[in-house]
Amino acid sequence: MSVVEASEGTQKATVDANFEPTILAIACHWCTYTGADLAGMNRMNYPPNVRVLRVPCSGRVNPQYILTALNKGCDGVLVCGCHPGDCHYVSGNYYAKRRLMAFKRLLEYTGLEEGRLLIRWISGSEAGKFRDTVTEICQTVKALGPLSTSEQDALTAFSRSAAGLADINANVGAAAGFASAPEPNQADGAGE
Amino acid sequence: MSDIQSQLRARAAELLSSGEVVQVIGWMDGRFENQTTPAFIDRPEDAELLVFNEYCVNTTPKYTLYEKEHGKLAVCVRGCDSRGINRMIKDNQILRDQLYLIGLPCSGVKDRKTGELLIKCQNCNHRNPVVYDELLGDAVEEPQVNRYDVVERFEAMERDKRAQYFESTFNRCIRCYACREVCPVCTCRSCFVDQVNVGWQGKQNNLAENKFYNLTRVFHIGDRCVECGECERACPMNLPLMAFNRKMVKDLDDLFAAGEAGLDAEGTHSLGTYDVNDVEEFM
Repeated sequence: MSVVEASEGTQKATVDANFEPTILAIACHWCTYTGADLAGMNRMNYPPNVRVLRVPCSGRVNPQYILTALNKGCDGVLVCGCHPGDCHYVSGNYYAKRRLMAFKRLLEYTGLEEGRLLIRWISGSEAGKFRDTVTEICQTVKALGPLSTSEQDALTAFSRSAAGLADINANVGAAAGFASAPEPNQADGAGE
Repeated sequence: MSDIQSQLRARAAELLSSGEVVQVIGWMDGRFENQTTPAFIDRPEDAELLVFNEYCVNTTPKYTLYEKEHGKLAVCVRGCDSRGINRMIKDNQILRDQLYLIGLPCSGVKDRKTGELLIKCQNCNHRNPVVYDELLGDAVEEPQVNRYDVVERFEAMERDKRAQYFESTFNRCIRCYACREVCPVCTCRSCFVDQVNVGWQGKQNNLAENKFYNLTRVFHIGDRCVECGECERACPMNLPLMAFNRKMVKDLDDLFAAGEAGLDAEGTHSLGTYDVNDVEEFM
């Protein structure tokens, strides 16, 4: 996916040109980490925004790692593992594939921009692919801007206020088919 | 309906007095008009307390987890309950031998205040139990519904609007964990939200933590969700939780032909297995 595509429609007016994203790259020990090592040995240049987290296998990647990274200040997450069929533990990346396919869709459904979570299979000899992938996600996220912005904080405050909630329910909830705005149940003391 | 109820009372009394089961799990009248509450009947003379009407909103499978230590249980099951039971058997939470299932065809249950069919029943396509030892009454017609309706409407929306709506949803969550307590799939002995020292889940009630809880919950149960809609009903903040669960169910069905969970007690769930020919999109 190109940078232009990712930022289309979501382009904020106030993306700072000097913004440097923080990217977490979760790399499997046997392939991607070795690939990253090879990229280093070959003196390849890639953006310094990336922080590499080594895991034994992409099957080790708990989706909560991704959520935690996004919650605690990363603007994008890259998950890499061995190519299907090449897993050191035979099947770890097949499980990871299913899991991450579903999880990526869920995150994007609940509002994460496409491109902030990238998953790629990179083998130990694909140093160039590692460099390209890191460059790709850095550029994408740079164009998207910080994940947590003051605009978003304002939105949070807005949706916590009664007026904001009513507005969101009327405009979005109604469009989704919730005719009556979902409001908290009245406490009636019943053990329902 | 009242015919089924009298049959149910008679059968419950028989099962208890013959000693075949030690307890019958069903519903009885609650404190308020048109309100029922789960009933745990262990004496034949109490079988008269059992009710079965259109206000039996609670699902029964989760209670078997806490009552199974007493002995064999008779459980009233409708479509949603029976799928939950299947799921619990598959998850090794209970053995089929420990249960006597009284099947009850259901026509949907209603909100006791508005009298409207509950949302979970509007999207139901399994009104008859899928597993039972005996069926009381006649099977009812299965409705043809598009249960992915809500998901499709959200998917059609612009990302910004959807994000805004879901953000307000997560913001309203009070993290009472009622959705976890009622879910027949949420059976971990030690839930990640309770493991304070491990520190997965913070105790603050803010957007980040609420999102973390809700997304983890959805992802953890999504591949096994029996779509009973009980989480959404139990939610005191009326959050549209099934809009998340169904998204997972829909995706897994589209990608891996996962099908519907809980229709049988065999096999494995779609994220617990893999196929080397799965779709590839991470190359």
